[in-house]
Amino acid sequence: MSALPIIQLRAVGKSYGANRVLKGIDLDVMRGEIVTLIGPSGSGKTTALRCMNFLEAYDEGEIWIKGQLLGYRSTGRTLRDRDSEATIAEIRRPVSMVFQQFNLWPHMSVLDNVATPLVLAKKVPKSEARRKALAALTRVGLEHKADVYPTRLSGGQQQRVGIARALAIEPEVMLLDEPTSALDPELVEEVLTVIRSLAQEGMTMVMVTHEMSFAAKISDKVVFMEAGRIVEAGPPAQLFGNTRTTRLQQFLKPWFDRSLSIAAPADGMTASTPQVEAAQA
Amino acid sequence: MMNNLITILPSYGAAVLVTLEVSVLAALLGIAGGFVINALRLRFTRSLALPYGFFVWLIRGTPYLSQLVVIYFGLPALGVTMSAVQATIVSLALYSSAYFAEIFRAAWNSVPHGQLEAAQVFGISRWARFRVIELPQAAAFALPLLANQVILVIKESSVASIITVPELTMTASGIVSATYTYIGPYALLIVAYWLLTQAVSLLAQQVSARIPFLRKTS
Repeated sequence: MSALPIIQLRAVGKSYGANRVLKGIDLDVMRGEIVTLIGPSGSGKTTALRCMNFLEAYDEGEIWIKGQLLGYRSTGRTLRDRDSEATIAEIRRPVSMVFQQFNLWPHMSVLDNVATPLVLAKKVPKSEARRKALAALTRVGLEHKADVYPTRLSGGQQQRVGIARALAIEPEVMLLDEPTSALDPELVEEVLTVIRSLAQEGMTMVMVTHEMSFAAKISDKVVFMEAGRIVEAGPPAQLFGNTRTTRLQQFLKPWFDRSLSIAAPADGMTASTPQVEAAQA
Repeated sequence: MMNNLITILPSYGAAVLVTLEVSVLAALLGIAGGFVINALRLRFTRSLALPYGFFVWLIRGTPYLSQLVVIYFGLPALGVTMSAVQATIVSLALYSSAYFAEIFRAAWNSVPHGQLEAAQVFGISRWARFRVIELPQAAAFALPLLANQVILVIKESSVASIITVPELTMTASGIVSATYTYIGPYALLIVAYWLLTQAVSLLAQQVSARIPFLRKTS
């Protein structure tokens, strides 16, 4: 395993006009690592993720993908020359992405959604691209839906197609932007199951999520962000177990409370919390 | 009465062909022009925003008749002389291109930005995004609006009767003033336009029904 991080952020900053949404982010993503970004809405976690493949142009600091500077021709502080779109595409080639809103192409069949990036960007011959796309769909359990249009699928299935599309290009790292936030609660699990299986296969992932239990179980590193800064980063046992950061304790409190109130009746106790009583009434 | 109508039918047939020739050519040029204008506007968003706005504002803000007379009677002063039919096609194409461009603009805006972000992330070039992601969806969105605008072009072509293009309206008026009968020739005129516009409308519906990703069941 190489010691060079796949993605490296150094003092990355980003402003929309006068609003500085990222205020100097440092982060290393190593090969095989699963990094989750958590934090309140507006903390900058999605922006940070979108900077990692230059969907958002960061304007301070540096982002390195496998040792190559992303987006700019130099490391200077201000007024940097931006790379051409082709160069940026080349550098972010190992980076793949799964979107909150899936962003599938509704005029293409499921198979074409997965095969099209291979044909158009990686110049893979059509028949081989279809074979690879079908293999990716098999990994998310949707090979039988290859010929239907995405609008015929449930939200969970659409997101699994989104994951298959991101897998088919054989990425070295996947960025997942709140992959389950747009889903009905009962569809969340099927998507998490797919992500879990990728994790077991050793896929490097950076994920923004509000699924705290999932983040606690799957992550190698959890990053808590607030107001454009990283407040605390470390293994899940540290952040979810015994954080010393007051703001993180506040942020996690509702999640802890909910976990406890669900656990109570399962211990054989009669319903005693207000939530459970309300549910039974 | 029926006898009269039958004797004037051949001249209507010839007039329908003129109306068709003028409006089909003008609509095709207008659609092509509107498409190119919109594509340029997309590619050079910043530098073309103002000229684009000015063009659409000018064309939509003035009557077609005034544009026709400027081109037919005004351009010869600059050394550009056209036949009445040519002037009609050119002016109607110019006039409709502004409306077609606006239709294409709306159609392109209808494609959600996230779909383009996805294409960008997966390394699909700008040109391929235009062709493979935007064009099919925009075209499907635009189709009924394009048909509607083609119908307006057919109806607007009646204005060419003023500069003596022998199309439907001019022909009907000629028959009316020669025979002093009104109801028959004018009724036939309306039926002829109605048939033409219905044909366009039906054609668009047929094409729409054949677009696979618009089907409700598949």
